[in-house]
Order: sequence, then C-alpha cells, then structure tokens
Amino acid sequence: MKKNNYFRVVKRDNVHLKRIALSYILAILVAIFIGGILLAAQNVNPFDYYKDMFSLGLIGNKFAYKQVEAFIKLFTPLLLTSVALSLAFKMRFWNVGGEGQFIMGAIGAGAIAYLFGDSLPSLIILPLMALVGALLGGLYGAFVAVLKVKYNTNETLLTLMLNYIALYLLKFLGETSGEWNFFLSTESSRPLFASFSESANMITIPTFFSNFSLNLSLVIVILICIAIWWYLKYTKSGYEIAVVGDSPNSARYAGMKVSKIIIRTIFISAALIGLAGAFYAASAGTLSTSMTNDVGWTGIVVAWLAKLNTIAIAVVSLLITVLQHGCTVASASYATVDANFADLLQGMILFAVLTADFFTRFKLVRSNKQEVE
Amino acid sequence: MNLFTLFLFSIVVYNTVLLYGTLGEIITEKAGSLNLGVEGIMAVGAIIGYLAAVTTNSLWIGLIAAFVAGGLCGLLFAVLTVSLQANQNVTGLTITTFGLGLYFFIGKGFGSNWPALKSAPAVSAAYSAIEIPVLSQIPVIGKAFFSHSILVYLAVFIAVGLWLYLNYTKTGLRLRAVGENPSAADSVGININVYKYVHIIIGSGIMGLGGLYMAMVMGGSFEGSSCWINGYGWISIALVIFAKWNPLTAILGAIFFGFFNTLQVYSGSLANTFPEVLGWLSVLPAQLYQALPFIITAIVLIVTSIKQSHGSGGPASLGTNYFREDR
Repeated sequence: MKKNNYFRVVKRDNVHLKRIALSYILAILVAIFIGGILLAAQNVNPFDYYKDMFSLGLIGNKFAYKQVEAFIKLFTPLLLTSVALSLAFKMRFWNVGGEGQFIMGAIGAGAIAYLFGDSLPSLIILPLMALVGALLGGLYGAFVAVLKVKYNTNETLLTLMLNYIALYLLKFLGETSGEWNFFLSTESSRPLFASFSESANMITIPTFFSNFSLNLSLVIVILICIAIWWYLKYTKSGYEIAVVGDSPNSARYAGMKVSKIIIRTIFISAALIGLAGAFYAASAGTLSTSMTNDVGWTGIVVAWLAKLNTIAIAVVSLLITVLQHGCTVASASYATVDANFADLLQGMILFAVLTADFFTRFKLVRSNKQEVE
Repeated sequence: MNLFTLFLFSIVVYNTVLLYGTLGEIITEKAGSLNLGVEGIMAVGAIIGYLAAVTTNSLWIGLIAAFVAGGLCGLLFAVLTVSLQANQNVTGLTITTFGLGLYFFIGKGFGSNWPALKSAPAVSAAYSAIEIPVLSQIPVIGKAFFSHSILVYLAVFIAVGLWLYLNYTKTGLRLRAVGENPSAADSVGININVYKYVHIIIGSGIMGLGGLYMAMVMGGSFEGSSCWINGYGWISIALVIFAKWNPLTAILGAIFFGFFNTLQVYSGSLANTFPEVLGWLSVLPAQLYQALPFIITAIVLIVTSIKQSHGSGGPASLGTNYFREDR
C-alpha cells in the first residue's frame, strides 16, 4: 500500500484519448500474455490456441457463413444491451438488472409469438413482439427507478434481486406442464418451450455471399445505436442525462425535473434491453432458460470498458464477442480448455484496464510537489 | 431419521454455505465496500481449497488454502477499489466472471485425472459428523441441528465471533464508523485504507471457506457443466440485506432461506407423508421456492427504504469509494 507521506494521489485535469487507447491496448496484451502462460501451464500451446481463437473458425471452413451467423447471434444482443446500460450508468443509476430486463423482454415477445403466431403475418407480429418485449423490459426497470426516486431504494441490490425473480419466472414457464401453459410444445411429453411459428421468426436478408443471410435485427440494432449516439449528443433530453449524471443538484438549480429524467431514461434503457431479449427470442425462434448468455452481466463490463461512449461500446462489444465466440470455436479442438476460458480472459482484461484506468484518471505526486509519473 | 428431521437436517447441510458467504459479505460491507464477487470468490476458494485438501490429505490445509485463495481475490478487489478507485460494482462482477472462469479452467485442466474425495480418507474423516453431547439427544431437532460436520459449527462460531467483534470491540466499532462515514472516521485518525483492506480480505477469506464447505457437500465431484456454488453467492448477497447486516440474524436468515431452498426438494415427499396438513406444498411450483429468497429480499429492500429506517439499512457509504483528496 502507498504511504501517504511519500505520495499523494491527484486527479488529472484532462484525460488524453491517446493515453486511454494506449493503456487499453497494453492492458489487453497483458491479459492475453497471462492467459498464454496459464494455457502453457495446462500443456496447451498458447500460439496454436490463440490462432484457433482469433481465426473464429472462419479459415479453411466450408461452413464459415454459419460461424458468421453464430457470431452475429452473440454480438447483436450484447451491443444493444451494453448501449442501453450505458444510458443508465451515465446517470449513475447502477442497473445490474440487465439479465432480468432481457428475460422479461423475451417472455413478452414469446407470449405474443405463441398466442398470435399462427394468425398474424410477419410484418405485424414481429413489430408487436418487439413492442411488447420492450414495454415489459422497460416497466421492469422503471419500477426500480420510481422506487429509487421516491424512496431512495438501493437500485443495485434491487435490480440484482429482480434478475433472479425473472429467471425463475422463465424457468417456471419452461418447466411446468399444464393446460394453461401456452408457452410449451404440445408434441413433447416432458416440458419444453415450443418453437415459434414461421411468421414469428426474425426476418433474414439474403446476401451476395451464397449461403449467408443477414439477420435483420443486427441492422435495426446498429440503427438504434446511431440513434442513441445522436440522442445523447444533440437532443435536449440527451443533454439532461449528462447534467443529471454529473451533478443532480446543478440539474435541479437549472430547473430540470430530475426525478422525471431519471425515470424516463431508465425506462428507455430497460426497454432497449427488453428489445434485445425480444430480438434474441425471435432470432432463435424459441425461448430457453439459458437464453441470456449472461449478456446482462457482460454488458456492464462492456459499457464500463468503453467509458460509456456509444461508439467505443460498439468496438468493445465486438472485441468481447471475438473472445467469447473464439473460445467456443477453439474449445472444440482442446479437451482441457472449454469456452469458459473467455470468462477468465475477460476478467483479466478488465482487471488490467481498471488498473490502467487509474493512471489515466489520477497521477501520483510526491509530497514535495515533484512529479513522478 | 424421520422425514421431518431429515428435512431440517438438509436445511442445515445445504445452506451453511449461505452463512459463510453472508458473514464474509457483512464484514466487507461494514467497511463500506459492496463486493458483488461472492459467487466467484467462493468458486475459487472451493476448487483451490478442495485440491489442497485432497492432495495433502488434510482438511485443515484445505481450509487454510481456501481462506488464502478467497483472501487473494479480496486483495485484488481491495487494490482495485480502495487504492485504484475503480468502480465497486464493475470490479465485483468481474471477480465473479474471473472466478468462475478460473474454476472451470482449473477443473477442466485435470481432465479425467480429477482427484476424487475418496483418495483422501483423512479429509472425509475430518469432515464427518460430530454429535454434540446432550443436545443431539433432543427428539426430532437434536439430530437435525446438533449432528453436523465441524465446518457447520465453524460457521456458527464465526458468526458469533463477528457479532461480538462488531458490537463490543474498539476496532469493530471503528470499522462501523469507516462504513458509515469514512471522512469523519479519517478525521479522528482512523486509517481508512488499512481498515478497508483488512476487512475486505478477511471477508473474502470467509467466503473462500464457504466455497470449500460446498465442495465437501457436493462430494468433490467436478462437473464441467455447473459450478459447485451454483448461485449460493448471489443468495448470500440477498441474505445480508435480509439479516440487516447482523451476523446473528444471518444464522436465522440462512435457516429461513434454506427452508425455501430445501422445500423445493422435499415438497413432494412432505406432501405425501402428511397429505392433510402439507398437501398444498406439492401444488406450488418448485421455481417459486427458488425465487422466494429473492422475492422476500426485494420486499425487505423496498419496505425498509419506504420506512426510511436508517438503523436497519446498510452502512451509509456502501458502494462509494473514499477518495481522501475529495474531503
């Protein structure tokens, strides 16, 4: 530990973008290097492993287009969830309830798909699923925001609890047979989520690459991200988010209705996460109890790594998806290293970045005012 | 053992891990730090402690290893959040991700050479149940509560010790001051950083012990698909709130939460044995029993915040970093 007598920690006035980028690249290299040592300790050649991992199963693979589709299936929900979470974090509202809001969105979309899937065409049912999913997710988050604003309820702990309540609701729907349960397949004897009918599956756009077809939800999500970037930068309500996040008191003095801004923003944030859940359900064509893929947790890490900057979030979620998908691909060829290696790498990258972060935000100053960097 | 005794016995066996996790988190939160890494720290403590115990054929070395492994995760958390001012939520969540990743990485690495518990007879012997004289002879509840492994008694012992520490010792009271108002504590000469470091590390060490306990309960058989801890770390965080940061209440809380966890397994047989009184148990879905600890905690959180009862809330500075220069 530092002794306060020798060094003082001082906040930096200006943080250079170059310094951040450099420290992040260094942090990632350190994590990959330590990961390599761990792999070697496990008798796995790190160079071979990383080669397999970073080629993402694209090289020398006849079915490379399937890998791209699998990649997009991971990337789309992560991107949307991370961008959505960043809205909440900008207001210092610690929404760790992404998992729950994602599940509620998926349940909402699933309910619509099961109830009306046979009677409505795609162009009506898909927007309806998205709408209901977003609404359910949004309300699940806004509920906490209302309590936070009115009674100062701890939002971190409450959203954490709501995650598990949503998860067990999903499990209940997926594991309980009964006349009433329209979520289940009628063909299977043991409880199993039914498949959506054809019209409730996400539209895919055929491309010039023979077999590859692009999932429409990726296009929509990218458009949403651009809209959010624009919203934060150029609209009045986007500006209000920044002010409330910086100092709720200044916002109040400036005549802003802080409570209203918080509830509105958290509703938008949670609704977008619900939308991510709805999109995921429609792309998978069914529900599943493990459908979140921990996106609510990973999204927090992504948003934080990207310093809540919308464009950086797109880059970081791409990188994290490379790690996750890459490890899944590579785990096929190594018996002793499974896809969880991605978690290990992700953890180490974040530890390294959090450390590097300190040196971009603060500097150590010798007590006799001589600077040491 | 009759069914009722067996039910109570299972509550204790499968939920003592909650007590370890909760006690570790209470001491961490009393220092003003919200560590969301409980699940990961327990996983690391579990696998390292178990491997140390089995390879040395000593449960005690396993306990030390689990405590040290957990404590090292705590040290990481402390370095990042106390010294380097990183966000506590993000750091804690990352420790969970990292810990679970490490758990599977180590476990998978053994492949088919995974050391079984029966290869270490002294560990099983040290873990076997100890009957407390007189108390264990009480009908029905005697066998349920007073015939357990040493690790169950250790958890209760830590709980009582922690309660005494927080309420009756000078350092314990100072610790509470650090959690409530660090700058006031700093101004009377308490070294905030030392207090935070020590208690975060000890708290994480206790979580590590809980991990080893769970490894023993699961019979030490590693499965690639799910972790031994399997969500107990998250329930522990909920239990801290339910217990209102009181180690003694945590004992009762662990039994209360454990009641629902265990009911999910026993609801069928209890309903069959006592159809008139408990027949309704099997009607309720198992997922409701699993969700109840979280539902109850959510309600407690909301109700206490509405009532604005400060005494029952958490430490006032919970979750915020202390930066001396901002005073």
